[in-house]
Amino acid sequence: MELLKHIRKELKKHPFDYLLFVTIGVFFILALSIFQGERLLEFIILLAFVTFYIIWGIYHHIIENTIHLKVVLEYVLIGFTLLFLLKIFILP
Amino acid sequence: MNQIIDAIYHLFLPKHSNNFRAKLLHHDFLTVYLVFALVLTVGITHLQNSNGSILGYATDITTLKLLELTNQERSNQGMDSLQNNEKLEQAAQAKAKDIFEKDYWSHYGPSGETPWEFILGSGYQYEYAGENLAKNFLFSDGVMKAWMDSETHRDNILRKEYTDVGFAIVNGMLNGEETTLVVQMFGKPLYSAAETKPEKTAEAGQKLAVKPETVSTLPQKLVLSDSDKTLFFPSYLNINLVFFSFLILALILDFYFASKLNLIHIKGKNLIHILFIGFVMIGTFIVINGSIL
Repeated sequence: MELLKHIRKELKKHPFDYLLFVTIGVFFILALSIFQGERLLEFIILLAFVTFYIIWGIYHHIIENTIHLKVVLEYVLIGFTLLFLLKIFILP
Repeated sequence: MNQIIDAIYHLFLPKHSNNFRAKLLHHDFLTVYLVFALVLTVGITHLQNSNGSILGYATDITTLKLLELTNQERSNQGMDSLQNNEKLEQAAQAKAKDIFEKDYWSHYGPSGETPWEFILGSGYQYEYAGENLAKNFLFSDGVMKAWMDSETHRDNILRKEYTDVGFAIVNGMLNGEETTLVVQMFGKPLYSAAETKPEKTAEAGQKLAVKPETVSTLPQKLVLSDSDKTLFFPSYLNINLVFFSFLILALILDFYFASKLNLIHIKGKNLIHILFIGFVMIGTFIVINGSIL
């Protein structure tokens, strides 16, 4: 499938960056499972993951030499939208 | 019809009219999502504070639903249904109050208070009794699923000796954080008055304990409450999932067409956005569940 071909191509271009993100993502899920029911900790874990996502974006685009305010803003907008949406579940 | 199709293309696919970037992913749209999420968060907090009850509707857990699910599980095993008992409900309320007042998360209080003291304190003299606890769940189904997934809690729910049950769903501060606590108390009353009999008790994770007790028969009454709570969270969860799905769809389509057409654009990495939203979606299903004891 053509979509998978494009995904593979993109992953091959930056294997370390994507591997790092997936690893941290798995740790995020594990941490949430371990501290399930501990609302404050769950929120801190979520906040840490959102922060990592934004930092990953900045780092990746600096390395790729494509950093721009618009790009950073995109990560911040998506990151904080999801943070606020999930916050209602964690700390209503 | 063509206008609708064009509008969908405009929202989801990179094309000339949207500057070759799905409109749903433009900064103005992303800003609207953020403002909407922010307004929702602040609005809900404000609504709760103005109602004067923090966490007043924070969960969609109801005693009626818990009773229904408990009896459904028992019915699946061919067992008799449990009756909601006012005394056990009082005992569960007293236990929840004690947990919040003394700030502990355990079947036993810091001064050695046992669950059975609360049951006896409510005036329910039992032959068999048990207790299940849960905290920070959002849905009744989640509580019941977690209990049924735990062998000791499931044993309590499916113990054939029990005839009565009482629930308490109480909000308060535990370990410095807002907590929704669910206490489920089981029991079987002693029928012969003023008779000394062995008393068997069980809580999740513990075997039956036996101790002597002077007993008396108590009346039973069906009391159901909390049935009129709002169902905010199921709707909110569905809206969230639909929103995440639309965002992922737009990102996949944008990624596909941008790669296919070799579009050069100053933008974030769609693949990482998709992974991020995916992890957050999985996280959503984890945070809607709490912990049991």
